[in-house]
Amino acid sequence: MTPALFARGVSIRFGGLAAVSNFELALPVGGLYGLIGPNGAGKTTLFNLLTGVYRPDQGEIRLGERDLIGSAPSAIAASGLARTFQNIRLFHQLSALDNVRVAQFAHRRTGLVATLLRTPAWRREEEADRAAAEAWLTAVGLEGRGAELARNLPYGDQRRLEIARALALRPKVLLLDEPAAGMNPQEKLGLRSLIRTLRDTYDLSILLIEHDMGLVMDVCEHITVLDHGEVIARGTAAEVQVDPAVVEAYLGSPEAA
Amino acid sequence: MRAILPWVAVLGFAMLAQVAVGPVVGHYWTKILMDVGIAVLLAVSLNIVNGFTGQFSIGHAGFMAVGGYTAGILTYYGGAALFDLPPGAVAPGIAGHLWFALSTLVGGVVAAVAGVVVGLPSLRLRGDYLAIVTLGFGEIMRVLLTRTEDVIGSAEELATAPWTTQVVSTGGSLGFTGLPFYTNLFWTWLWTGIAILVAYRLKESSTGRAMLSVREDEVASGAMGVRTTDVKVIAFAMAALFAGIAGGLFAHEIGTTLNPAELGFQKSFEIVIMVVLGGMGSVTGAALAATILTIVPELLREFSEYRMIVYAALLVVVMLVRPTGLLGHREIWHAWRRS
Ligand SMILES: Nc1ncnc2c1ncn2[C@@H]1O[C@H](COP(=O)(O)OP(=O)(O)OP(=O)(O)O)[C@@H](O)[C@H]1O
Ligand SMILES: [Mg+2]
Repeated sequence: MTPALFARGVSIRFGGLAAVSNFELALPVGGLYGLIGPNGAGKTTLFNLLTGVYRPDQGEIRLGERDLIGSAPSAIAASGLARTFQNIRLFHQLSALDNVRVAQFAHRRTGLVATLLRTPAWRREEEADRAAAEAWLTAVGLEGRGAELARNLPYGDQRRLEIARALALRPKVLLLDEPAAGMNPQEKLGLRSLIRTLRDTYDLSILLIEHDMGLVMDVCEHITVLDHGEVIARGTAAEVQVDPAVVEAYLGSPEAA
Repeated sequence: MRAILPWVAVLGFAMLAQVAVGPVVGHYWTKILMDVGIAVLLAVSLNIVNGFTGQFSIGHAGFMAVGGYTAGILTYYGGAALFDLPPGAVAPGIAGHLWFALSTLVGGVVAAVAGVVVGLPSLRLRGDYLAIVTLGFGEIMRVLLTRTEDVIGSAEELATAPWTTQVVSTGGSLGFTGLPFYTNLFWTWLWTGIAILVAYRLKESSTGRAMLSVREDEVASGAMGVRTTDVKVIAFAMAALFAGIAGGLFAHEIGTTLNPAELGFQKSFEIVIMVVLGGMGSVTGAALAATILTIVPELLREFSEYRMIVYAALLVVVMLVRPTGLLGHREIWHAWRRS
């Protein structure tokens, strides 16, 4: 079966730095995979490559059957690859609901003229989108919080809102970049069950970057370990945990697991 | 039905301004109210670019010039040919006014096309390129317009002048004098009302939210599937359209001359100040600031020499005290509710 997301030989250099080299991944449909590695390993850079923010020097990337190389980020997103950002990038001056609704724009059918004339078709679509957006907020545990400005939400809720916004794209594959960063232990527990629920409920395939090893080892059925831009290990949690290369990479870094 | 009602209200409002307000307030205030309408039209339209999408355009007067000169050529030379009148004569009856309305609209469309041509290269990029390009565009327009031929004043001369000569006979730095006075409270407030309605409906729609998301975070906007360049170009073209229409109204207003110096950087700067002062992204804020900044200098005529100094100082004070402008991103009724 065609993987939901496939990458092979993906590489990018920033000047002399090989930020990602020869990356390979086949994320199966419905898979929940993890991507770990010490600080500066190239994890976020890889997300930027997958989502079209950077264009790889070499390699192929496919979303299902679709070749993603050279496509604009907006086109990649609209075709079903959504992400969250490590350094939260919400639309801060917009309400939580509007943040989610922005992601619905790519799928809108009524155009500018219908918008200005407020045709019945436009109105119906607007109503349907609003209801859907509220449902996404509920799905991540932000029910009834739609009117609040994104910037006024507590940190953990902002991370949840990023997930709701990504879900509103109705993606096939979801990339989560350190969703637990800055969360307290209780919020992390909530996030853990949320990630599982999302995968099971919405037919999503998820690739998760996370420094919280407890979380990754617990929810991910497969883990890829990156160090200095290269894959140094891959396998189940149990396998990578005892891999000597992984142990060395982490012991050699200040932020040991 | 609910959707049509606001358009009817705009039309009714414009008619009311013409038949009920104009005669009551007299010539002096009629002129001021037309100036206010044109200023509101300019500020509300610039706000679609600067306020909604967060791109910084500082050449709005350039698009005003494109629209004003285009409409002027159409009413002055085109009107003469069409109605068989001496150049610059007001065509009698409804026909003249319909020709004027069409001319302003064409002026707006030409300005919108100019907007796309000028804006597209820099709107594809991120950052402040648009400011530089629009500034340059405004200045180029101004200089080009000072180089045109004298206005053809007599019917005999006009009869022998080919249209290629006519379109470049717009008076150079002296300005396009002798344009017929078609602009009245009805046309001013009709276009202004339309612009306000369009801007507001845009803001409260998915297209408008896409524009706001570009302002907030362009990278995140693209990552959420928004084609950011398209959205910026649409905003820019709409702003240029209304600026062009404002130019047409300005050109045919009594007591104004359409000349290059009037439509230079200073004018663009005034419109930017209205948007910043009103609150970036607030439709009613832009309208309010435009109204205040048009009426107050009028009442303080003796200080009008210092106007630009006061504007500049005002801008600095707003930036320091209330960087989001009077209303911030909100509309006037929100501010009402909060306070
Ligand atoms: N646009 C860029 N230009 C130059 N260097 C970059 C750029 N983006 C990332 N890098 C470098 O690439 C390397 C990988 O960075 P990246 O952000 O992908 O690491 P990461 O694995 O996500 O780390 P962290 O766990 O701290 O988030 C780093 O050395 C970083 O400085
Ligand atoms: Mg990172």
